Amino acid sequence: MTMAANDPSLVPPLLEMRQVTQTYALNRQSLLGARPQLTVLDNIHFDVRPGEAVGLVGESGSGKTTLTRILTGMEKPREGHVFYDGRDVWAGGAEHWRQFRRSVQVVMQNPRSSLDPRMRIGSSLLEPLRSLKIDGDHAARVFEVLDQVGLTRQALERYPHEFSGGQLQRIAIARALMPGPKVLIADEPVSALDVSIQAQVLNLLKDLVNNLGLSLVFIAHDLSVVAYTTSRVSVMSAGRIVEVGKPMDLFVRPQAEATQNLVGAILTVESGLAGNALG
Amino acid sequence: MSQENAIEVRNLVVHNTALTAVRGLDFTLPAGARMGLVGESGSGKTLTALALMGLLPMGWQANGSVRHDGVDLITQSDRALSNRRGRTISMVFQDPLSSLDPVRRIGQQVSSVIRRHTQAGKKEAERRTVDLFRQMSLPRPEQLMRAYPHEISGGQRQRIMIAMALACYPQLIIADEPTTALDVTVQKQVLRLLNTAVQERGSALIMITHDLPIIAAMCDTVAVMYAGKIVEMGPVAEVFRHPRHHYTKGLLDSQPTMDNIALDGSSRLASIPGMVPPLHSLPAGCAFHPRCAAATEQCITQVPTLDDGPRRAACWHPIGATVPMEVA
Amino acid sequence: MILSKSSHLPNPAPLDVPASPPARRQRRKLPRNASLLVGIVLTTIFLAVALVSFFYLPSNPNIPVIRNRLLPAGTAGHWLGTDVLGRDIVAQLMVGARTSILVGAGGATLSLILGLIAGLAAASSGKIADEAISRGADILLSIPGMVTALVLAATMGSGALTTILALTAFFTPSFTRVVRSAAIGVLNEDFITAARLYGRGKIFVLIRHVLPNIAGVMIVQFTLYFAAGILTEAGLSYLGVGVHRPSISWGLMLNEAQQQVGISSPLAIWPGLAIVLMVLGLNLLGDGLRDVLDPKLARRAS
Repeated sequence: MTMAANDPSLVPPLLEMRQVTQTYALNRQSLLGARPQLTVLDNIHFDVRPGEAVGLVGESGSGKTTLTRILTGMEKPREGHVFYDGRDVWAGGAEHWRQFRRSVQVVMQNPRSSLDPRMRIGSSLLEPLRSLKIDGDHAARVFEVLDQVGLTRQALERYPHEFSGGQLQRIAIARALMPGPKVLIADEPVSALDVSIQAQVLNLLKDLVNNLGLSLVFIAHDLSVVAYTTSRVSVMSAGRIVEVGKPMDLFVRPQAEATQNLVGAILTVESGLAGNALG
Repeated sequence: MSQENAIEVRNLVVHNTALTAVRGLDFTLPAGARMGLVGESGSGKTLTALALMGLLPMGWQANGSVRHDGVDLITQSDRALSNRRGRTISMVFQDPLSSLDPVRRIGQQVSSVIRRHTQAGKKEAERRTVDLFRQMSLPRPEQLMRAYPHEISGGQRQRIMIAMALACYPQLIIADEPTTALDVTVQKQVLRLLNTAVQERGSALIMITHDLPIIAAMCDTVAVMYAGKIVEMGPVAEVFRHPRHHYTKGLLDSQPTMDNIALDGSSRLASIPGMVPPLHSLPAGCAFHPRCAAATEQCITQVPTLDDGPRRAACWHPIGATVPMEVA
Repeated sequence: MILSKSSHLPNPAPLDVPASPPARRQRRKLPRNASLLVGIVLTTIFLAVALVSFFYLPSNPNIPVIRNRLLPAGTAGHWLGTDVLGRDIVAQLMVGARTSILVGAGGATLSLILGLIAGLAAASSGKIADEAISRGADILLSIPGMVTALVLAATMGSGALTTILALTAFFTPSFTRVVRSAAIGVLNEDFITAARLYGRGKIFVLIRHVLPNIAGVMIVQFTLYFAAGILTEAGLSYLGVGVHRPSISWGLMLNEAQQQVGISSPLAIWPGLAIVLMVLGLNLLGDGLRDVLDPKLARRAS
């Protein structure tokens, strides 16, 4: 399924976070005292190789959101580095930053919120090309991406409110694909969708990884969903990565407490019917 | 607790001037029993719940009959209904942040429900509220009384919603996607709590969700809704292990749960092609036919109805049938 | 005939079926929105009257014609009669419409522009700027509009311009607040984050993404402030600190008519009615627009 499966240790990571620590300053407790610091991320190592699909799971408050923001360059870490294609994105110069921006794209959780309700789908899709100043035949690229995600051209003239949640998520994925990224970061992409639509979107993501050779970073709080789409999963808890492994291994033999909690929280139809699901 | 049924719904239709969202629901829930109502967006499940509570939004109207606590709820005035809401029939909503009043303290909100429906005075109601919080395993109940909704976590808020719904020992609780907005780990805790609390009180439960494992864990019977109608109904174990309607099977196969994931990571989720039809332009015949691999001419032209028996499916070619169905 | 669907094709045809009624249906609802219709009609009538007044007037509204004084309504050539100096009421109302619209719209427009700048800045420039702008607006709001108008009239002389400035001073802080809270709501949406991720600068995002999404709110507020401006202008002119002859204002007409109450009461009715109808029209327009513009974004019954 992945190129890296042949030789994981020899292929250098495409996107990498090394020794990243992030803190936020809280409100002052007393007038003269220093502002207390909240450590949100603590010495994080996280990477993804070309063509690899990795997962990141953790509960809310584990630091997933901050990690995502730092990984996409939306926030600068207090300590540590973010490397894209071997170079530090914050110290690599404007040209490298541009390349980083084009190559790492994000699909967010709430499809209704991630598209401007006042813009037609076609305009929303062209936005990334325009603002990243990418040359080429924009129209052809739009048609190409629509095919890749399975949407028709009629969608271009419509507004977001005319689509269902699942379709909007496809559109959001299409928009993320427009600049031809190498890494797709999907932040809880199916949490807000109906179950039968989740399957469609998950299948789509899996196909894109296979057909386009994309790297995928899949962030979620549900281990089963991540297990389906990725080959290596990192578990986060309280700002740290506490365990990394293959999804099935984590499921069958969870080591860290956070992993055990996540596995324990999984409900399946069979365990429900067996009567012992809720404990 | 009376021996009569918790609720009997006959031919429930919910509509507004533009469209009909619920197109004829029939089911009976015995006292203390648990029913799961499976539905995705566009199935009409939330409007069904609101219709049962008499809380339909403006413009929507319910027809049919809903017998509960000896009366037909559809014919009751809002005053009579509000005497029942919270006392004999109550509801837990999906998003506790918007269901709790942000400017009133939590203790006051819950105890006011108790005072509305019982003779309890202020002190007594507060005492019962603290007791309820303890039953819900909420930490530091006395302090919680004075907190505001935004000061506590989502899981705690939902437990408080459940506490409010259960405070007066209702005959029936309707839970509409109670854990969808919560983290997975919190989800299980809340469900466990709901399960125990409902059991202790002997209340009946209608659990509305599109998450099948929850229904498997908590309910005795299940009804699957699609485009405003029940398409399959029966005991949970049988419907989930041997689904007869193709939509039910599709739902079961498309859940990204550990049941469906192969150990080598090569599995592909069987998804149901297409999407739920909009209620204003439903397909002719069986509403599911455009997405069904087994659809035939008959499915396009004739609307199937639920057949008889303990496991009922509204399908011309139910899974496992060897003889073609007769026109009902 | 078995209809077969393959689950590994990316679902072509069914995907372009919209989940909610297409935009076409929205527009058919307009005629049923009575407020909007009445509001549009009333506002258009007054705008038309003011426009026409530049090209045609039944007679001069300022030159006294004593022999025609206090003619009753229905007289040939003077459909609503004349005032105590024989000047035609209809002509005065028409010119008065110009003043009301100029001052009302002028005040509302200036406030809109200033409020937009301040509100957007407060919403997007960080905590300190937000605090500064919001508290500044609070302070300005605490000064009653009439007082500001009177002070300005006393120092700068009364007239249309002074009134417009007074209105601006009063409405800008309100507008700022409305814009700020609407903009904050939009700035929390994910598509703003997406635009920033694609490298769009803050100003671009504000103009291209925030403005169109708060436009509805702003249009509604504009019509309401327009209406309030007309009322305020009439009040000021009535008090004698608004416009003076040869400019005409409905409030000024009320002031002049006040002396004739008991002798010829209808004189007060016409300008009063004009004010009521214009303000009513604008308020209905605002309400109607709010109903039409909002439901497009708030959907989904289930």
